[in-house]
Amino acid sequence: MQKFVIVALNSLLAAGLYATMSYGLAVIYGVMRIINLAHAGLMMLAAYATWALNDRFGLDPFLSMIIVAPAFFVLGMALYATLIRWLPRSAAGPSMQSLLLLFGVWLVLQNLAYAIWGGDTQSILTPYTMESVPFLGGRLGVPQILVFVVSILSLVGLNLVLRRTYLGKAIRAVTQNRDAAMLSGVNAGQIAAVAFGIGTAFAAMAGSMLSTLYAFTPDFGRSFLLKAFCIIVLGGMESFTGVALGALVLAFIENFASAYTSIPVSYQDAISFTLLVVVLVAAPGGLPGLWRMLDRRVVAR
Amino acid sequence: MPAENGKILAVSSVSKRFGGLLALDSVSFEVQRGEIFSVIGPNGAGKTTLFSCLVGTYPPTSGSVRFRGEELKGLRNDQVVARGLVRTHQIVKPFRDMTVADNIRVGVLYGRLRLRGAKARERVDEMLSRTQLGHRAQVKAGVLSIGELKRLEIARALATGPDVLCLDEVMGGLNPAEIQQAMVLVRALRDSGLTILMIEHHVHAVAGLSDRLVVLNFGKKIAEGRPGEALRDPAVVAAYLGDETKEEARA
Amino acid sequence: MTALLRRHPALVPGVLFAAFLLLAPVFAQRGMLNDLWNMAFFVVLASAWNLLGGFAGQVSLGYSAFVGIGAYTTVLLANAGWSPWLTLPVGAALAVAFSVAVGLPTFRLRGPYFTIATIGVGEAVRVIASGLEFTGGSSGLRMPQGTFDFNANYYAMVGLALLTLALVAWLQKHAFGLALEAIRQDIDAAEALGVHSTQAKLTAHAISAALVAIGGGLFATNFQYISPGSVFDFRLSLTIVLMPIVGGMATITGPVLGALLFSYLQIKLLASPTLRDSYLFIYGGLLIVVMLFEPKGIVGLWERLIGLRPRRRAQPPVGEARRAS
Repeated sequence: MQKFVIVALNSLLAAGLYATMSYGLAVIYGVMRIINLAHAGLMMLAAYATWALNDRFGLDPFLSMIIVAPAFFVLGMALYATLIRWLPRSAAGPSMQSLLLLFGVWLVLQNLAYAIWGGDTQSILTPYTMESVPFLGGRLGVPQILVFVVSILSLVGLNLVLRRTYLGKAIRAVTQNRDAAMLSGVNAGQIAAVAFGIGTAFAAMAGSMLSTLYAFTPDFGRSFLLKAFCIIVLGGMESFTGVALGALVLAFIENFASAYTSIPVSYQDAISFTLLVVVLVAAPGGLPGLWRMLDRRVVAR
Repeated sequence: MPAENGKILAVSSVSKRFGGLLALDSVSFEVQRGEIFSVIGPNGAGKTTLFSCLVGTYPPTSGSVRFRGEELKGLRNDQVVARGLVRTHQIVKPFRDMTVADNIRVGVLYGRLRLRGAKARERVDEMLSRTQLGHRAQVKAGVLSIGELKRLEIARALATGPDVLCLDEVMGGLNPAEIQQAMVLVRALRDSGLTILMIEHHVHAVAGLSDRLVVLNFGKKIAEGRPGEALRDPAVVAAYLGDETKEEARA
Repeated sequence: MTALLRRHPALVPGVLFAAFLLLAPVFAQRGMLNDLWNMAFFVVLASAWNLLGGFAGQVSLGYSAFVGIGAYTTVLLANAGWSPWLTLPVGAALAVAFSVAVGLPTFRLRGPYFTIATIGVGEAVRVIASGLEFTGGSSGLRMPQGTFDFNANYYAMVGLALLTLALVAWLQKHAFGLALEAIRQDIDAAEALGVHSTQAKLTAHAISAALVAIGGGLFATNFQYISPGSVFDFRLSLTIVLMPIVGGMATITGPVLGALLFSYLQIKLLASPTLRDSYLFIYGGLLIVVMLFEPKGIVGLWERLIGLRPRRRAQPPVGEARRAS
């Protein structure tokens, strides 16, 4: 029972980060119907940026997000203006062309990291990296708790922006019904740029936080991209609550599978990949929006 | 199984639900062999959804579709085509980078007839001339006009060798002359032995062509019968013609 | 005859090049033959992938799995005393079985969703293969001594490349090619005209998987050593996808041009440390440039240059872009 509680708590903590990581992908998909494969590269780049700020100036990784996130917001807008904007827009669904273009961006970002920082494995060590607090007879890691708190704060903040500001409302409007939003005077190009910025900033925040938990190389991020994709598919592709729900489901499945089954640690990533394929294909139908999404957008159009 | 008393298609209590939306609500009707049967109704009434459920683009949530006595529910689109029921699309779906002749060839090679070689070429030519697309045979479908694209939809569907042809608004977006032409074509198709099931917005075409029709509104059947009677039904006038007059006023 | 040449400008250079490849062992040095071997290997990978990814438009990022299956089948059976040649059909059969197992569920997905699923499958295969004992783990496996004849392997690879090209060209000309083309351009319309899309995709997947796996078996024989890192690598999947994309998807010539370009690139990359460190820049940059400017790759550029194809396709009339009830 005690083990169960601790595993559940760890799943919850992981879910916070997973949600932050996935929301960046979901907002871009929602507004532009683009699957941003560069998400992985952006998370990796942010992890290095956080590491560099820590290494060079001794800046705490969580504080560095105050610099990294806005910088990546600008980077995202720039990516939109220089590349994404020129792609033919497809109203129907995500195009292969955008997927492959952003795949190219990811490769370039990887090479950029190799060129600047080399291929060695890096990690960030802070005074609290190894700390943990006792809880209900088990222990919870301090970085994990901090990551969870920051994730929740960022998601709450984003939710406020989406509900209270004009731009946020416009983003939600375009996500729900692009044609109607444009007819009511929303500038879709501008909204898309901002959405790409927000998506990139969230990739950056996720990357910064991942860097406090994991070691990384320029190849870092692929498994997290697949996890994020798994989550947004679980959550129905675009709704805020759907992403949170998907993050919870994946985190619980991963943690409980490794705690209660004999699946080796090295196979843990395979759980989410397999789940991704299973969910994409079989759509068990338990999650809200999932059935509808598969029924209409992916399979049955 | 032989058809009972000329009935070729029997739709009974077909419903289709998309998440919270009930797009079709227990729709039933029967189509007789050799008739022109129309499905009409305002936008969003569920007409195209009905066609999709008939041919197996997606399965109905409940209900049954019997074609020549055989249950179609659960069959894939291509299996339904192989049995002789084929549809066209309201939003035309040409293979834009293929020639017009190759577009038709897909239906000839993979439809119910599955012809090969010289026989296949003959049938492609026959379809081209029946739909007056012969002069466009070697052009990429992407450059056709909307009228030609609508005819290509018919030509491809016809090429599969169906018994029942489901036409989804083949007159939408056409000018009056082209509509006349399309009406002549539909009549000729029926006279050649086909059964026609068609969704049409154009009242004159519906009234002039249909032997019988059903009227859908919000996924429900609200009237059925001969065009003269059904179109005068008060419920139809309220739901459908009200909408239609507004559309005509806008155009 | 002239009409034929005008329609297929690549025919004469193609036949000459094939003759050159077949005669090369008579006069060429081993170093050059190695490069040519590699090029033929790339032609196999790119052209076979193109059958599903190009003609049918199902872009799979998981093709290294088939190289791996072919390579491991050959090494494991050869170590059990089989002749390497006899292992090739076994590898092909296993790859076909795997392609069907993967294809059955994932072919229900459309476009990019399918692509993402293949990344998932490819990663899962790599992770699991690295963990399994019989793959030799990260240290890999060797072929038994004395099983190798380079010239025979060279002819086999060149023969496989020519067979692949001939097969793909033949399929393209026939009903099956038209079905794949229809699936790529509009899968709903294809199904509405009677094409069994899942069956067609599975068939294309199986054919290309078999060809790639045979290539993988010859790869293992040629290099005498394989590991999950070399044959299940994401980078290999990446190269397989990039060659036809850069050369020109859904054409016969495109993947060959891509294979020429990438095998040349690989020689250059291996020779120069600075270039080796920037291969991802080159790969990613090529992908970005092709997607932004000419999604039909080199072949598309060529067609545009000689005026075969207008720059922009006719757009569907407004109003037609709306969805129906």
